[in-house]
Amino acid sequence: MGITRRQLLQSGIGVTALLLAAACASEDDAGTTQRGGTLRVGALGTAARIERDPHGNLSNDSDFLIASLVYDALTVPGADPTVAPRLATHWEADADNRRWTFTIAEGARFHNGAPVTAEDVVWSMRRLRSVGGASKMPVAADDITADGPNRVVFTVPESNTQLPLLLRLMTFTVPQGTTDFTAAIGTGPFRLESFQGGTARLVRNEHWHGAPPLLDAIEVTMFDSVTALGNAAIGGQIDLASNVGAIAGRTAAGRADLQVVRRPNDTMVGVAMRTADGPFADARVRTALRLGVDRTALVNQVHSGFGTVAADILGTADPAYDTALARRDRDVERAKTLLREAGFDTGRSYPFVTKAEVAGEVESAKVVATQLAEIGVRLDVQVVEPAAFYDQTWLTAPLYTVSWGTNDSVVFFAEKLMSSGTNRNETAFHDAEFDAAIARALAASGAEYLQACEEIQRIQFERGGYLVWGMADGVDIAAASVRGLPTLGGFARVQLERAWLA
Amino acid sequence: MSAVRAFVVPVLRRLTLLVALLAIVLVAVDLLPGNAARSALGRDADQAELLAKERELGLDRAVPIQFWHWFCGVLTGDFGQTARGTSIGALLADKFPQTLLLGGIALVLTVVLSLALGCWWAMRPDAVGARALQPATTVSVAVPEFVCGTLLILVFSLATGLLPAVTLTGPSGFPAGPEMLILPVLALAIPQIGWNTRIVRSALLDVATAPHVESAVLEGLPPRSVLLRHLLPFAVPTIVAGYATSVGMLFGGALVVETLFNYPGVGAVLAGSVADRDTATVAAVVALTAIVIMVLLAAADFARTWATRGAR
Repeated sequence: MGITRRQLLQSGIGVTALLLAAACASEDDAGTTQRGGTLRVGALGTAARIERDPHGNLSNDSDFLIASLVYDALTVPGADPTVAPRLATHWEADADNRRWTFTIAEGARFHNGAPVTAEDVVWSMRRLRSVGGASKMPVAADDITADGPNRVVFTVPESNTQLPLLLRLMTFTVPQGTTDFTAAIGTGPFRLESFQGGTARLVRNEHWHGAPPLLDAIEVTMFDSVTALGNAAIGGQIDLASNVGAIAGRTAAGRADLQVVRRPNDTMVGVAMRTADGPFADARVRTALRLGVDRTALVNQVHSGFGTVAADILGTADPAYDTALARRDRDVERAKTLLREAGFDTGRSYPFVTKAEVAGEVESAKVVATQLAEIGVRLDVQVVEPAAFYDQTWLTAPLYTVSWGTNDSVVFFAEKLMSSGTNRNETAFHDAEFDAAIARALAASGAEYLQACEEIQRIQFERGGYLVWGMADGVDIAAASVRGLPTLGGFARVQLERAWLA
Repeated sequence: MSAVRAFVVPVLRRLTLLVALLAIVLVAVDLLPGNAARSALGRDADQAELLAKERELGLDRAVPIQFWHWFCGVLTGDFGQTARGTSIGALLADKFPQTLLLGGIALVLTVVLSLALGCWWAMRPDAVGARALQPATTVSVAVPEFVCGTLLILVFSLATGLLPAVTLTGPSGFPAGPEMLILPVLALAIPQIGWNTRIVRSALLDVATAPHVESAVLEGLPPRSVLLRHLLPFAVPTIVAGYATSVGMLFGGALVVETLFNYPGVGAVLAGSVADRDTATVAAVVALTAIVIMVLLAAADFARTWATRGAR
C-alpha cells in the first residue's frame, strides 16, 4: 500500500511541502508555507436544506464542508490508494476480509478536550447507521463493537475489501450520547465559532491530532446559485468558490488575480440504458448507441472542455481503471450495422428523460440526442424536475441521464449500481458473470483483486447499460494567493485543512 | 357601524381568501410529481426508510387531513417542522425579517422617488429631465428584476468594483454591511419606481382638468400650493392603489432578487421547499408573505377611504 498520506504529513514540514508540490500543479513556491489568515469560502447550499446533524442527509455542499472541517471521518479520500487515514490511523482485516479493525489516532481529542474513545466511535457509527441508513454505514449496528480503548471492529456478513473506502466521508465521530449538534463538538482540524443560517466561522484547532492547520480561520458562506457564487469570487468578496463549475471557470481563466483549480474525475454525467427489457435490452443496440456518440465533442460542448473522455466504465479515477481497455471512438457505420442486425426500430422515437440536477446534464441529453440522430436513433428529450425524476423515472425508464460523484472506485460503482442485488440498479443489469467478478473483488486482494477488477470493467465495456461518455472536472476558482487547495475529484473538495494564504 | 363595514368585512373576506389560497397551494404542491420523504433522505434511501419517513411526516394521510393538522398548528402559533425535522418557525424567524427589510426599504424608496419624480414630471413636462422620464420609465417598467439586477451587478460590481456583487451574511444573520443592500434594493425598486412614477403623473394630470384646480390656478396660487392642496389630495386614491399593486410585485421580486444577490431571505427557503415538495414549509412561507401583503393592502385601503372621505 506504500506510504500513506498521514505518514508523509507526520514526517515533517519538508515532506509536507513535497506532498503539497506533488498535489498542487499550480504550486510555485511550495517550500515556504505561511501560517495565519482567514480563508473566505463560498459553497453551494439552500436554506431549506440546512442540516446540522453530521449523520443526517447533508445535501448542501456548505453543510458538508462545515461538517468535514469540524468532525473527522474515520477515513478520507486519497489519490493512490484512494483511501487515506484520518481519525483512524490504520486498519487491518482478517484473512477473509470480514472482520475489520480500525485504530483510532493517538492523541485524538474532542474540541472540549475530552479524549476520543472507542465507545464514542462505536456510538457515532451506530447512530450513523440508524439515522443515515445502510448506504452511509454498511455495517449493522450490532456488528460495530469496541475492542479495547482505541480500536473499533466492524464485522460484515460477507467478505468486503472495500470497507475502508465505504467508511470515508460520512463517518463523523461525535461525543457519545450527542443529539444536539448546535455546539458542534467534533475532533476535526477546525472548531465551530459561530453558525447562522448556513453561514459559519471556523477557527483552527491547535490540538488537532493531525498536523495543525495553517489558517487561523475559515469562513463558509452559503450560496444559493452558482452565478452568485462565481460573482462573489470574481468580485473578490470570497477567496474560494468551491465547486462553482465550468462557466465561472472559463470567466476566471483569463484573470491574473484568480486561479482556476481543476479537479479531474469529479462528476460523471452519463446515460443509463435499461438492459432487462425494452428497446435497449439487446447488447448490440447499446453498443451502437455507445459508438454513435462523439465523446470529445460532448466534453467540449457540455463541460466547456473542463473534463475528460471516458469509455462506458464507471470509476475512472480508480488506480485499477483499465485505460488500455477503455477507449471507444465514434463509428457511425458500425453503429448503423449493429442496429440493423438487432432489428432496432428506427421508425419511431424514444423518450430520453433528463433533469437539471448537475451542471450540463440537460445539455448533455440534447447533444447526445443530436448525435444519435446520425445513426438513425431518434430521441425525444424530456426535461423533468429532479423530485419528479426520482419519483417516476429513476430505476424504471428505458433511457435517462444519470450523474454520480466520487468516481474513484470501480468496485464501488459495480456493486452499488450494477450488481443483481442492489436497490440502485439504474440499468436493471443482471449478469451472473458480473456478480461473480464483484464477489471475487470483494473477497480477494493483490493480483486476484486486480484481475477481478479487470473482469468487471471488461463486462461493463462489452455489455453494460451505461453510456459514460466523459467525466466533468470539479472546477473551483480561488484568489491567486490561496495555496494548498485540494486537487482530487469528488468530495475531496472539502479537504481544506492544508490550505494556506501566501 | 360604517367602520365595521369599511374595515372588518374586507379583512374577513381577505382572511377567507387566504385560507382558500393556502389550500390551493397545498394541493398544488401535492399534485406535483415527487416526494418529500425522498427529498429529505436523498436518493440512497431504501423503500423501508422512505415508508417510515412518510409516516413520520404524515404523508400517508389524505391531503385535507394534512391541511387540517397544519392549519390547527398555525392557529396555535406552531408552524410544525420541515421534512428534515427542523422547526419551520425558527427557519422563518431566521430569514423573514431580512426579506421584510429588503422589501420595506424598496417600498419606501419606491414611494418617495416615484412621488417626487411624478410630481416634477406633471408640473414641468417640458424640462429636459422630465422629457427623459418618458423613455426611462417605459424601459424600467419593461425590464424584469433579474435583468435589472444582472445589469447592476455587471456595471457597479464586475466592471467598476464600486459595490459588492453579492451579499455576505454577518453573524447577526443580516447583511454584513449596509453597502450590500444597495444593489438588491435598486434591482427591486427600479421597475416599481418607473411604474409608479407614471401612475403619479397621470393621476395628477387627470385631476388637473378638474374645475377647482383651474380656478385655483386662475386665482394665481403658486404651483407648489396648487400641487399640495388642490392636486395631490384628489390624486391620492389612484396613487395609493398603484402602491398597493407594487407591494405584491416587490415581494414576488424579492424572491428572485435574493437568489441573484445571495441575499439571506425567505426566497431561497421557498424555492428549496417547493423543489423538495415540503408542503408545510411552502404553506408557512406563503401564509406569512400573504399576511404581510394583506396588512399593507388594508393600510392602502384605509388611506384611500380616508382620502375620499370628503366625497362621501
